[in-house]
Parts: sequence; C-alpha cells; structure tokens
Amino acid sequence: MSNPTNEPRGIAGHGAFFQPTDLSPEQAEKATEWVRKQVDRRTVDLGERMDDVRDHMWELEKDGEIIVHRITDAHKPVIVKTLFGWDKKIPTSQLWHHKSCGQCGNIPGYPTSLLWTMNGLGMVPGKDYLDETDQTSCTAWNYHGSGIGNVESLAAVFLRNFHQAYVSGKRLGHDAGHFFPLVHCATSFGNYKEIRKYLVESAPLRERVKKILAKLGRLVDGKIVIPEEVVHYSDWVHVMRNDIASKLQKIDVSNMRVTVHMACHYSKMVHEDAIYDPEVLGGNRAATGTGIAQALGAQVIDYSTWYDCCGFGFRHIISEREFTRSFTIDRKIKVAREEANADMMLGIDTGCVTTMDKNQWIGKAHEQSYTMPIMADIQFAALACGADPLKIVQLQWHASPCEDVVEKMGISWADAKKRFEAYLEEVKAGKIEYLYDPKLAASAAA
Amino acid sequence: MATYAEMVEIYEDIKSDFRYDHELNGCLNCGICTATCPSAQFYDYSPREIVQLLWTENVEQIYDAMQEKIWACAQCMTCAARCPFKNSPGGLVAIMREVAIKHGMQSAKDVLRPFGRVMLKLITTGNQLSPDMIQPDHFPDWGPNIQKVSGDLKILRKAIPMKTLQTTDTAWEVSLKTSVEMYTIWEMTGVLKQLETMDENLYDVIEDFIEEKREEYADWLEEQEDNKEDA
Repeated sequence: MSNPTNEPRGIAGHGAFFQPTDLSPEQAEKATEWVRKQVDRRTVDLGERMDDVRDHMWELEKDGEIIVHRITDAHKPVIVKTLFGWDKKIPTSQLWHHKSCGQCGNIPGYPTSLLWTMNGLGMVPGKDYLDETDQTSCTAWNYHGSGIGNVESLAAVFLRNFHQAYVSGKRLGHDAGHFFPLVHCATSFGNYKEIRKYLVESAPLRERVKKILAKLGRLVDGKIVIPEEVVHYSDWVHVMRNDIASKLQKIDVSNMRVTVHMACHYSKMVHEDAIYDPEVLGGNRAATGTGIAQALGAQVIDYSTWYDCCGFGFRHIISEREFTRSFTIDRKIKVAREEANADMMLGIDTGCVTTMDKNQWIGKAHEQSYTMPIMADIQFAALACGADPLKIVQLQWHASPCEDVVEKMGISWADAKKRFEAYLEEVKAGKIEYLYDPKLAASAAA
Repeated sequence: MATYAEMVEIYEDIKSDFRYDHELNGCLNCGICTATCPSAQFYDYSPREIVQLLWTENVEQIYDAMQEKIWACAQCMTCAARCPFKNSPGGLVAIMREVAIKHGMQSAKDVLRPFGRVMLKLITTGNQLSPDMIQPDHFPDWGPNIQKVSGDLKILRKAIPMKTLQTTDTAWEVSLKTSVEMYTIWEMTGVLKQLETMDENLYDVIEDFIEEKREEYADWLEEQEDNKEDA
C-alpha cells in the first residue's frame, strides 16, 4: 500500500472524511467480494416474508370497498415471473398511454417509437391503444426531489389518472375498463405501486382520498378504482420482444455492443414486482431492456457498475448538477466506454436516459472526455425495425452521439437529417404526419 | 436553532407518519445501504447514519441531519432494495423532508429555492417540465449541441407525430378540466399550504394562476350550457 507522505491515514468513509484506501486492484476486488456476491445475484429468500398486495386487493373488492380494474382476455395478457417467482399479468392490447413528462418534454422519441412499434404490430389507435390529453403526470419526480406533496396527494393523483384510464373508452363507444393503463415512466411506475400498497393497507388513507375523488366525480359506484397490475411500458416491450424481432426487424444488429442501465425505480422500488426471466442474464437481474436487446440479436455486454443508479437524483439534476454529472460520468459513461467498450447504453426510463445523455460534454472540463450514445430500448428496437431516426425515433433531441449508432446500423445519418429538414418545411406549411388520427387525442373536456 | 422541545416535536412528527413502521424495522449497522448509496460517494451523507439516528431516537442529531444531509439523498432507493432488515432509508428521508417543510425549516427553503421552476410548472399544469425549460440557455453544462437539428422550437415540436406532444410550455397537452382537477387535489391535500410555507412569492403567483384557470373553466362550462340551450 503506498503512502508517500507517511501521513497517518484515518478510516476510509464518505463525505469530508473520505480518504483513498490505496488498495491495489486485487486487494479492492477481495475487499468488496462479499458485497458483489450480494449485489450480483438475485435474492429470493425474502419472498416468504413479503405479502402480495394483490391478494389483499381481491379481499377488499369482495368486501365492497374497491373496484379492481381487471386485465381480461380482451387485453391479450401474457404471464411473466417477477423477482420472487410470482406471476404478473401483462396486457398487450387495449392500452391507455400514461405518458411521462420527462420523456414527452425531453426525449419525445421514446413515446413515438413505442406507438410506431404498436402500429407496426397491427394495433389500431382508438381501439387497441389511446393517447389523450386528460392525464396529469404522477407528480412523483417533484415529490422525490422536493418533499412537496404527500402520500395523500400522490394517491389522489394515482386514482384520478387511473380512473380516467378506466372510463376513457366510453367516448369512443367502448365499455368501462376497455383501456388498461400502460405507464411510460419508471418513477411513475414505482411510485404508483408504492401508493397502491399504502391504499390497500390503510383504510384511513382510502377514506381521506375517497372524499377527494368524490369531489372530482371520479368514483365508480361510490368506490375507488385500483388496477389489477401496474404495468410499465418496458414490461410490454419485454413480453412483445420476440414478436417485434420476428415480425418487424429489418436490420441486423449483431455487430452492436450494447450495455443496459436498469432504472432504479423499476427494479428497486417495490422490487418484488419487477420481471425476472431465467433466459435473461441468468435470471439474476431484472429482465426488461436486456430482453429486447437480446431478442434483436445485439451483443449484451455486462459491466461492473450495472447496479448503480444514473445520478439523476430528482432535485440534483436541476440544482446540484455537479453530483449528477460526476456520478453519471464516473460510474456509468466511463465504465461503459472503458470496461465494456460498448456502442451504446440503453435505458428504460426517463430520468436515466436524460441524465446519461446530457451529461457527457461537461466531462471535458475535468479531462473526462468519454462519450456514449444513450437511448431507450424501444428507440433502439424501432431503429432495428426500420423507423426513421429523426422523424420517428426523434434522435435529434439527444445530446449524446446517437448518430454513431445509426451509422453503424448502416443508415446514413446525413441523408436522414436532410430528409427531416425537408419535412420541417412541410410542417411549416401545415402538412404534418401523425401516428394516429389527432382527433383521438382530445378528451371530452375543455 | 430549535429548542429541545421543538426538536422532540419534529421527531414525533416523523415517527407519527404512517409509513414510519414500514420503513424502519431495526438495524444491524451492516452498512450495505451506504456501500451502495450514490450520494454517500459524494456527500457527507450515509443512509446507515439516518437509520441509526432514528432507531436510537437521537432527536438532536436527527434535527442536525435535517439541515443538510437529508437533501443529499438521490431517492434511488438502492438502500431499500438492499437492506437485510427491509428498512427504507430513502423512504425515511422522504418523511423527514416533508416534516422539514411542515416546520418551515430555513435549510429546506434554501435547498428548494432553485427547484421553484419545476414546482411552478407542476402545480399549475400537472406536468413537471416542458420543452421550453430544456433550452441551451438553462443548461450550459449540457454543451453547445444539445440538439442535433436547430430551428424554431414550435416547428420542431410540431414535427413530433403525436398530437398530444406538439406543445412547448407543457410536456404534453393537458386538458383544462384535468388541470382544474389537479388544483382541487393540491388544495384538499395541503400541498398549497406546504408551498406557502416554503415560498410565499411562488405561492402568490400560483394562486393567481389557479384563479385565472378556474375562471376560464367556468366560462367554458357556461358556454357549453348555452350551446345546449341553443340546440
């Protein structure tokens, strides 16, 4: 162990007291072996100590307390296994797109690629899916960032939005429950599941929130509506991965080295609900994101910091960006570049893609010039299926060098950009192409 | 500096949150939470310390941790997923932040001031950010080329093939009725009161905005009624 100044060393720790341990790579490997064993393998032993909230939901429904928005055969469900080996039903049709404010505001190619893929699989807008204006964000980004908000407000927002999903089909002539919510954002996904648990467990919370929902006119037969499952878009992509690859894929991506960043709020919040699949990374890690990359035939490259968060931090990306960018460069971008020599990093969430995509250029200020194309799993899938990189996949909004991925896939970025610039002239003249009839978007209200 | 009695009151508020018993079950001091915590690598912050302070009911140190440390947490919940006791240090931090706001702690006001733009957007529109907030001027550290095609933001947004996304001041088009419903939720759950405690100026701006939107919605409803009668 080197200590050239011979100064006494305090204990290594964190914050102001931190001092490098100066361990050799071999010593560091040995010192962290136990932690890695814990982190790298799925643990199932806690399963018996955990209740399945869905069992309690059925009891509450039986007691006349709530209505469960069911996933029926019409939703064409696929059953998958979660962390503890529990079954989870993923609806594949009749979906209500619950959009993400970060995706729509900043990475619009995320939802457009998803809808484009659905259209490609023959799903009919207005019948097999709906994108409408009557929805709010989950408000959980703000809550996790600021502490403004509370369980009651988060629960009221959850039930309001999911009630709207339940009744949304009526204006198109469908029965209640026709459209089932598909949640685009992982923070919304984690937050809604956490809140669902609290609602099922706490009668006083249900009572308080019911009053709010009554005032909004969002009860059904005087009851709150709770979904049978909370479903993330990446769950849908995962169960559809083989269909996407076999029916839509046009470009061979076997030359692409892909790393995957798993969103914390997908796999660490209410983690018992995350999909695990023995065919994906030995079933030791959450399967979404990786599963579609494998199905498309890309080379999935493992890397040592796969478990780390991206550094988003909710508040930090806005007002303490030095943390966000340092963490994402040190623990994600640099590792994906140096250790995995990857062509790209795929994300399955809003904040992660934003954080890793935007915080690369600033590394130059600290001689950390690492670059890595960042995009969502569904954007990569859409590219492999022949979607236009700008018009559909909307990669023009990304700061990272996504054009390198496009070029390596054999698509000319320069030509695509030219086409898009020509299209912008048409847009100016009012000739806009849509993925669905825009009239479907307007809800009955103002 | 708070009195000891005030510190006890703050601790009791934390403890009385109904989530508290979910989030704190014991502590072995194993430190796996801190070992996997991103914030612990950059701040004087340790989720293990937060759990220990609460577990040992150390009211003075809890108060001290609420000045700065709780705001270092990135809320990734890695700690919660890893804890052998099924504690959620991140969840405990969320409760402590709410209590800091309830008590109008100056440290919370200082920390949240730069977050005002997001709160304004969220409370007034139901969206948490919008395309016009993510412009190069606001984020110079994202570099000079944060977009690969330059041009008028409105036109670039119109070129997104989803009707709901062709907006610039919200992430998606939110119907007026939806926004008005949100305002009711904020009022009935005490969120506007939280906001008033934290930032009176921001609260005033938001209140005016809400009033205006509600009037607009009332006019729209009246118009619908008139149309019905005419028909």
